[in-house]
Order: sequence, then structure tokens, then C-alpha cells
Amino acid sequence: MVNASAARRETQLKLKTSQEYRQAGFAWVGSLIVTLALLLSSYDWETQAIKPYVWVACCLYGAFTLLQVLLTLLIRRDIMVRGEIHGVTRALGYIQILSLVTGNVFLVTAAFQLIRKRKSPEYTLAVYTLLTQIAVIAVSAINLYKPYVADTFLTGMFILLAVAAFHLLVVVLTAKFVRRRQVPRRLVWVAYPLLLTSLTGNLFALALGIILLVRIRNRDNPAVAGWEDVLERLTRNTTAMLGLLFIAFLFSVSVCSYVTFDYGMAVDNNYSLILQPPSLAYPLGTDNFGRCLFTRIIFGARISLIVGVMSTVLPLLLGGTLGAISGYYGRYTDNIIMRALDVLYAIPGILLAIAIIAAFGANTVNLILALSVGAIPTYARTMRANVLQVSTYEFVDAARAFGSSNAAIIFKHIVPNSLAPMIVKSTLTIGGAVISTSSLSFLGLGIEPHIPEWGNILKLGSTYLETNSYLAIFPGLAIIALVLSFNFLGDGLRDALDPKME
Amino acid sequence: MEAAKSGGMNFAGAIGDTYGKLLQNSSYRYFALVLGAPVNLFTLFVHRVHKAGDIYASTERETRQELLASGLQEQLKTEFVEQLHSKIRFFGQQASVAELDSQAAQLAAERFENIVAERVDSRLREKGLARSTFISTFQALLRHPWFLPLSIIPGFPLYLLILLYSSPYLKYIFERLVMTVFVIFGVAVLVFTILYISPFDPAVNILGQTATDAQIIEFNRVYGLDQPYLVQLWDNVKGIAMFDLGKAFAGNEDIVTAIGRKFPVTLELTLLSLLMAIVIAIPIGIISATKPNSWFDYTFMLIALIGLSIPSFWQGLVFILGFSIKLQWLPATFSPSNWMTFIMPVVVLGTGLTAAIARMTRASTLEVIHEDYIITATAKGLSKRKVLLKHAVRNALIPIVTVIGLQFGGMLGGAAVTEKVFNISGLGSYIVDKQFIPDIPAIMGGVVYTAITISLINAIIDILYAFVDPRIRSKMKQY
Repeated sequence: MVNASAARRETQLKLKTSQEYRQAGFAWVGSLIVTLALLLSSYDWETQAIKPYVWVACCLYGAFTLLQVLLTLLIRRDIMVRGEIHGVTRALGYIQILSLVTGNVFLVTAAFQLIRKRKSPEYTLAVYTLLTQIAVIAVSAINLYKPYVADTFLTGMFILLAVAAFHLLVVVLTAKFVRRRQVPRRLVWVAYPLLLTSLTGNLFALALGIILLVRIRNRDNPAVAGWEDVLERLTRNTTAMLGLLFIAFLFSVSVCSYVTFDYGMAVDNNYSLILQPPSLAYPLGTDNFGRCLFTRIIFGARISLIVGVMSTVLPLLLGGTLGAISGYYGRYTDNIIMRALDVLYAIPGILLAIAIIAAFGANTVNLILALSVGAIPTYARTMRANVLQVSTYEFVDAARAFGSSNAAIIFKHIVPNSLAPMIVKSTLTIGGAVISTSSLSFLGLGIEPHIPEWGNILKLGSTYLETNSYLAIFPGLAIIALVLSFNFLGDGLRDALDPKME
Repeated sequence: MEAAKSGGMNFAGAIGDTYGKLLQNSSYRYFALVLGAPVNLFTLFVHRVHKAGDIYASTERETRQELLASGLQEQLKTEFVEQLHSKIRFFGQQASVAELDSQAAQLAAERFENIVAERVDSRLREKGLARSTFISTFQALLRHPWFLPLSIIPGFPLYLLILLYSSPYLKYIFERLVMTVFVIFGVAVLVFTILYISPFDPAVNILGQTATDAQIIEFNRVYGLDQPYLVQLWDNVKGIAMFDLGKAFAGNEDIVTAIGRKFPVTLELTLLSLLMAIVIAIPIGIISATKPNSWFDYTFMLIALIGLSIPSFWQGLVFILGFSIKLQWLPATFSPSNWMTFIMPVVVLGTGLTAAIARMTRASTLEVIHEDYIITATAKGLSKRKVLLKHAVRNALIPIVTVIGLQFGGMLGGAAVTEKVFNISGLGSYIVDKQFIPDIPAIMGGVVYTAITISLINAIIDILYAFVDPRIRSKMKQY
């Protein structure tokens, strides 16, 4: 009896610690949810008919999900019987990679993890680099159905395809040559071109290139830096990586849209195409001025990202500095700064933003400033609490005993050691800033109405809620996806930066 | 009679002791000295008169002479010079001899004074005497039966301050209220200043581009816009305190009356959402924390994260589309008399808060569950349920209530968006509507009164804590 219970616990622990099993489980659940969503939307309730395209997609998703369930059971049996995953099971992962055609990121990421026995963070990053690139190409390729494309479209697509091929090569090379924290010197010839390809806005490529270079430079140094553990924990966290994937994808699309998308589609009125339902040429339909909703959402991503990031970075810097000064000097300085910030803290962010916009007018710069001012106190409080804690550590006393100046102590010793909670906090609040931006635009107080921004698109769409509800639903889904991604990433960063949570 | 007298003595002694402590507190000292100026001046006068013939002065003079004669100061100075030299050598710095000398002399003089004071004190103590100070004079005066009754009228503010200082609770509540008043004042100044430095000219905005100069001047005169900044600021602060902000630029309605009519709607909506959030989120958070990494946990935390990520205006639109247009279960437009119309706005406004509270409850309960006292409670043989509810949740609730207090402010602000979506005429949509004009006094009134509500609620939560949480109570008594 005792033995049976102990054995059961052991297998449970084995299953729990197996990254492949956990990911496979996550993948089929995620894939099943998408399948069910497709199933629901494949039936048109009003005309009592099945939408053929959606139905086909649903069937494809269902088939791959079924395969994934079987694969998960196989992995489970392998682990329980043999203690490790069989090579044949791993080889089955190559089949699941085919689900890339359907755009099922859950299955593809799980499959890429499954096919490799030893996974380095570099490999994971390389896979995500490739996935980002493919997603950008797929989204840009939708323009092929349009009556006309941007002049630079073909050149841009060829460059993107070439970059994707290179990224595939990088995946193979990192899988083959990168061992645990050991990167051969030859890979410099991969790292530099990789950095060059990050010009397409591929954040994963940028990160991977930098990491490879740093690893190559430190290859004779056996010491393990703190960031390496963080990187390893972060790359093992599927939800955080998927969040990062979506952010990187949006960023990359925002950059590439200069070349592959036609801005005219998003802003020029076309009265022959008013309020068209979704079709191949206009995947999300057209609005009341005949503008392509899909193109508008793509161009809106740019604004949302810029405003979201800027209105987080500004208060991060300002609030962080104030908090650090306040926490380090204490007494009167602390009292004066914190009491002044209390005043700011008492006004709800949205109302303060409304007041500022009422005073200075609605435009992008004022919006960023208005949202930033309201966020200063929270950052200052977080930073102050961290600094108060870090100031009591011995290395600060040591620095003071060596005669370092206050500025040197604050910026060289205290601030770097109290950054982690600030990074987590800012990632989690970017989402809030994106929501605030679109909320204010929706109220008519944010971005100028002629600019395609998600809140503006929604505001327009909300007037056609009864007849053309997709005009309001799709931009909302885009906002949710972006905010959710930042929240997933923030949660993942918090877990990665705080080993206590494990 | 005798008991009453000794009681009075004790009372006087307590006042004296508290005043002594109070004077050591740097922020209270100035208030005490100013508030009780007549009493303090009298005490100072008595103190000075006494001091002249005091034994302390003569002892000090003697001791100083002795120590000077023993060459202590010279000895200290050479010691300091040596120390400074070795310090400079260690850090490899450069400094001139004269500079070092003056530094050493200064340090030596300081140390010398300290030694003198120490010696004098110990000598006096040997003789069984105490140094006469301002506070000891005050205490001696208090022992005089006539002093307290006579000084109670001129020194009333001072005695009130001493009374507040004597009890940690009173002191805490008093400080918290003072801070709240300061914050409210700061909010009024800040919002007014932001609107004042606006580059727009309200007169041109309201009257239109075609307005004549005379009309503009008349407009500015009526609304006091021709006054200097400080006068306008004072008028506004006074107006907020007296609930009289005058008339709005447009519509000729009294601002405070309009706000008073609209604020209850917003408050009702917010409180209902808060209630919904607490009822749903706290049980979910606790169950998630007791079964971490289970299906229940994953599912509900994912839903919570999605709830955090949904823009409320979009959620409102989708609800209207689903429940009002497609299913026709709930009416789309709000009317205060129909409770059915409350459902959608309350759910939309409460979603974000529900998600935040559920996440916070989970995190905070998880943290508490691993504390030693939980293991102790389990080891005592308490049932799981009892451990959870009596020991874990009670302790976990403290940060949760703080979060609720802070989020409440965000909700009052966020109500603006929800109100616009459902066409509710609350304070939020009032501010948004006025923003388009822009009607400066109306915006100012709306924002400031919202901020005041939030500050007061947070102050009340903080004060309640002081009575509920034993940890805060003990911390309060320490200072």
C-alpha cells in the first residue's frame, strides 16, 4: 500500500518534471480551445448553414489536436515505462511540425521541443525566431489576394523569404552545435548576420544574436552569470514565450508593413467597397469608408506598441529615479518626494489623463505624457521599496567604506540590484497602458481620429454594432491578444527573476 | 482629597512627560512651539530666571577650566591629525596641512564639548542633582496647582496636541487625517494648475471665433478668469471646500449640484461592482491557492488573466451585441429604476477588479500557507478547514484589502469608459462630456471630488487596519 502510493508519487513527479510532457499537455488543450472556437464560428446561426472555409480549418485543427492527444499519451507511457522518451516518439514530433501550415503555434512549439532531446535556450530562441519570421511572411502574403499591392511588396517578400531560410539554417546550426552553455567560435558567422536580420523587427533574432556573441566571448569563463539562469527559466515557460512571440510578431509586422503593406488601403476612402463582409481580398472586411480593416489593424499595431512602450518607459525612468533618490537618502528627501507623489497617486490615472488632455489637446504626444504622469507614483513606490531593502546589504556598506560617492553607490550598486521587480512591473503595466490608450481613443480623447489606431477603429466599428459587428470585434481581439501577451510575459518574467516562486 | 490631589499630580506628570517626548520629535516640535507660544514663552522666562542662579552653570564652568588645564583639547587635536593623515594615505588623496589642521581642530572642539557635558552630568548626578532644562522647568511648573487651570486657555492648542501625542492611536489617526487633508489640497492645486496653464483660451472656445473683444472681456470677468493665478487658485480651493464652484461655462448649471446628482450613480455602480468582485474573486483565489497547479487553478487563473486583458469598452460592446441585440435578454440602455439594466455595467466594470483580486488572493494566500504558524496549527491537529479559514485567510486578507482600496480608485476613474458605453449619466461621463468643451471648472470639480472620495476611503481603510492588524498596532506603539 505504502509502496504503491510512493510509486504513484514518483511517476507523478517524473511526469511533472518532464518538460515535453507538460508542453504536450498544454499544446493539446490550447489547440482544442482553438478548435472549439472554430467549431462554434463555423456555423452560421442566422442562415442555418455551415461556413465551408471555417469548417475545413476546424477539421484540420481537430485532426492535429487528436494527433497531439495521442502523442501526449505516448509520451506519458514512455516516461512511465522507460523513464525517458523513446526516439520514435520524438520522431513523431516532425509530423506535428506540419501543423505549421494551419498556423497552430501551440502544436508547433511543442513539436519543436519534442524533437530535440537536449535543448539549449539558444535552440528555443532560434525556433521562435523562425516562427516569428514565418508568421510575418504569412500575414504579409495575404496581400497577394488584394487588387493591388505596394510597389515594394515583391522585393520585400523575397527579402523576408531569404531571411526565413537563413533562420531555418540557424535553427539547424544551433541544434547541432550549441551544447550546454558552450557555443563554438565559428558561430560568430551566424551571430552577425542574425543581428542584421533583426532589422526586420525580429526581436528574437536580436536577442539570439546578442546571446550567441556574449557566450562566444565568455566561453572560457566557467562562471555562470545570473541572466543565464533567468534566460533558461524564461525559455522553458511556454506561455511567456508565446506572449513574447506575439509581441515580436506585432513588432516585426509593424516594421515590415512599411514595405509589404499599402498605407493607402488603411486610410484612403473607397466608396465602391463600403461595409463589405470578410473575404479573401479583405480578410476582416471593410469599414464604412471602404477601408480594409485588416490593413488598418496592422498599421494600428504600430501606434499601440509605441504608445504602450513609451508611456511605460517614461514613468519607469522618472519614477524609478525619484524612488531611488527617495529610498536612498531617506528622511526629509523621502518625505517630500513621497508626499508629492501621494498627491499624484490620489487621482485615478484615466481622470488625470482626461484633465491633461482637456488642457493641452488630444494628440499622440500629449496622450503619452498624460498616461506617463499618472503612472509615476507606482514606479517610484516600487523602486523605493527595493532600494530600501538593497541599501541594507553589506556590499553597499562596503562601497561606502571604500569612499564611493553617493551617485556611484546608487547607480552602480543599488539600482542594478533592484531592477528585477521594476522590469516585471513595467511589463505587466504595458498591457494596462495599451488598454488606456485605446480606451481614451474610444472616448475620442486619444490618438487623432484620422490615424488608424485600434481604439479609433473600434470607435468607428461600435456604431455598426448591429449590422457589421466584426468591425468592433476584430480590433478588440487584437487589443486583448496584445495585452494578454504582455501579461503572460510579465508573469513569466516574474517567475524567472524570482527563483523563490519555483 | 489626598487621592484626588495625587491623581492630579499624575495627570500633570503625564502631560509633562508627553511634552518632553513630543519636543524630541522633529516634525512635531515646531508645531508645539508655535501653537503653545504663550505657555512656552512663560516657561522659557521662568527657565532663564532659574538658570542664572543654577548650580549647573557653576559646575560647568569649573569642569571646563579643569579640563582645559589638563591639556585635553591639544591631545585630542593631535590624535585627530594622526587619524586624518592615515585616512588620506589609505585612499591616496591629497590635502594641504592647513586644511587637515582646521578639520582636526573642528573635530577636537566637538569631542571636547561632548566630554565636558558628560563630565558635568556625572558630577551633578554624584551630588544627586539634575540639570535644569526647559522641559524640567515646564514639569515643575505643572506641579504648581495654579499653572494648569490658568494656562489651559492660552495653551489649549498645545494641550490638545499633547493629548493627541499621548496615545499612539490618536496620534496615528491624526497624522493620517492631516496627510489626507494635505493630499486633497495638493490634488486641488495640481488639477487647477494643469487646467490653468492650458494653451487654450476658454472664452474663445465657448463664445466661438466670432466673439468680439468686449464679449471676451465680459466672459473673463464673469468667471473670474481675469484675476491673477493665486487669486483664482484660492477661489477654487475655497470653492471646493465650501461645495460652491459656481456655474459651468456652458449650460449655465451649478457645478456642485450637477456633480451631486451624478456622483451617486457612479458610486452605486462602483460599489455593486466591488461587491461582485469580492464575492466571486476571494473564494476562487483561496481555492486556487490551496490546490496550486491543479486544473482548477490553471483554468481560473487563465480566465483571470484574460479578464485583466479585456478593455472594458470592448467587453461592454460585446455584451450589448450578445445579450441585448442578439439574445434580447437585457436592455441596452441604462435606466436607474430598472435593476436589469445594472447587470451589464456592473459586470463590465467589475471584471478587471475581480481578476486583480483573485490573483492577489491566490498569491497572498500561497505566501501565508507556507508560514510556520500554519504548520503549528496543523500540528496542533486543527482541521484543514479551520487552519485555512482561521489562520491562513485572516492573515492573507490584509494585503488584499489594501489592493481593493487602491483598485477602488482606478475603478472610479474607469467608470468613465463604462458609463460612456452604456450611456449612463454618471460622474465619469459628465467629466468626459465636459472635456470636449473644455469646461474647466466642471472638469476640475469632477476630478477633484473623485480624488477626495478615493483619499478618504483609503484613509479610512488605513485607520481601520490600525485596529485590526496586531502587527501594525505594535509598530505604531514603537514610535
